[in-house]
Amino acid sequence: MQMRIKQKGWQNQTGIVILVCIFFISLVCAFTFFEPEPYPLKYPANFGGRFTIPEDNPVTREGVALGRKLFYEELLSANNKISCASCHQQALAFSDNRQFSIGVDGTPTRRNSMSLSNLLWVKNFFWDGRSTSLEAQAVVPLTDPHEMGQSLEASSRKLNASKNYPSLFEKAFGTPHINADRIVKALAQFERTLISGNSKYDQYLTGSYQPTESERRGILLFSRGMRMDTNQRGGNCLHCHSIPKTFSETFHNNGLDEVPLDFGREDFTGMQEDRARFRVPTLRNIEVTGPYMHDGRFKTLREVLDHYSDHIKPSATLSPFIAGVTEQQIYSLALTPEEKQDIVNFMLMLTDTDFLNNPEFSDPEYKTNKP
Amino acid sequence: MKLLRILILAFISVALLMGPSYAQEFITIEGEVTRVLKLSIKDLEKYPVAEIKIKDQKGEEHVYRGTALSVLLDSAGVTLGRNLRGENLTKYVLVTAVDNYQVVYSLAEIDPEFASNLVLLTTHVDGKPLPKGEGPFRLVNQIDKRHARWIREIRSIKVLFSK
Repeated sequence: MQMRIKQKGWQNQTGIVILVCIFFISLVCAFTFFEPEPYPLKYPANFGGRFTIPEDNPVTREGVALGRKLFYEELLSANNKISCASCHQQALAFSDNRQFSIGVDGTPTRRNSMSLSNLLWVKNFFWDGRSTSLEAQAVVPLTDPHEMGQSLEASSRKLNASKNYPSLFEKAFGTPHINADRIVKALAQFERTLISGNSKYDQYLTGSYQPTESERRGILLFSRGMRMDTNQRGGNCLHCHSIPKTFSETFHNNGLDEVPLDFGREDFTGMQEDRARFRVPTLRNIEVTGPYMHDGRFKTLREVLDHYSDHIKPSATLSPFIAGVTEQQIYSLALTPEEKQDIVNFMLMLTDTDFLNNPEFSDPEYKTNKP
Repeated sequence: MKLLRILILAFISVALLMGPSYAQEFITIEGEVTRVLKLSIKDLEKYPVAEIKIKDQKGEEHVYRGTALSVLLDSAGVTLGRNLRGENLTKYVLVTAVDNYQVVYSLAEIDPEFASNLVLLTTHVDGKPLPKGEGPFRLVNQIDKRHARWIREIRSIKVLFSK
């Protein structure tokens, strides 16, 4: 009897050992055969290669597909009604048409929703540049109580309980376990693919589009500064909105207010000389990303031009490049109505309809891809 | 009342005489250095003075005064002179302004043993402190025809290896 019990115990132990072996072998196999396919990032050569993709988050087809689905996923919000795409709509170059967006608590956001394009090259995210990676950036709107308002732990729980997500995470990251880190990594991967580089202006640079006379004048006015000695006219816009990507990693007070309500970058750095400095945003697809400025105060591009031409407000931190647009240090470019229209016409050349309609960026479930 | 007016006027005059006031009163030199330097304008006065005379677009001459960047880098223990060889020739200096504008100089073009260029960390122009929007620190060099690397309102200077 005793022998039989012993034998049974030995058999049980063997069974457990075999099960453990199978578990480890399958684990090893899973990692050995887990090889997501690299995502080919395509961009115009003149955009250059000055970008860094985190070593622990390479862009893969599986990761991008997951990130795209998450971008449109309303489960990531506290009330299951808001996704990233609610305030970043593809048809509007991933911005919205509101002065301030409305979050889960029904209150307006503090600043205007930024357009998302060519983020691969961006180093400082948000109007005040407080995040230095797309991964870190994603945490903020997901968890901010006035935006999507849900902890990443709660989001992970919801997604873990869903039917499809565990297998999508497994394809992207080699494990079906969903956590905060993998959610933001997938979102960042998708966002790195949002490349806009086929506007009329890009076509003009490659010789396949002939600009109108007004557009040509607009290009010159945008690119050149005002010079009294040679009567050269221009807005010197290019000084900050560098061509071809039309943004720069700089922060300027562009003379909106003498006494600013929003301290901008100072809130983040704590340094007084950063008061009312905001990121120089992209002008790509500017036609559809209004209203404009960090507080969405201007409804039209013409209002923007009126501001830079005629209404710059002096203050201690006003950008010296705006204060000194003319050699006389006066706060007015005094552009003529025709010159303003020429510059607007140039900016309309930056609309990239391929980008706005690219099916690879749209809602994979076709639910929320409408402005 | 009259006394109050006089006091206010005196305060304003003193404030104006003191020149532009900057929140950023010092500059850091860090990165591939053996000593991190945090220098105020006063600290810079301890170093040898150098000047660059340059004509502006109108043809008017201006005199920029400051300290040779090579002297400051040497003081921070950066590999210059006989030590600027081998992999050290892949080092560069990344200069960042308050607005986050950045420019790059290679170490070799700063080193007087390599180049006849003079790269100067300036604090004064025409005998006066650099005006607000330019100062307190601005890089000026002798040979650049365009002045886009004459970076204003410098916040930091980092010596880095190109990777």
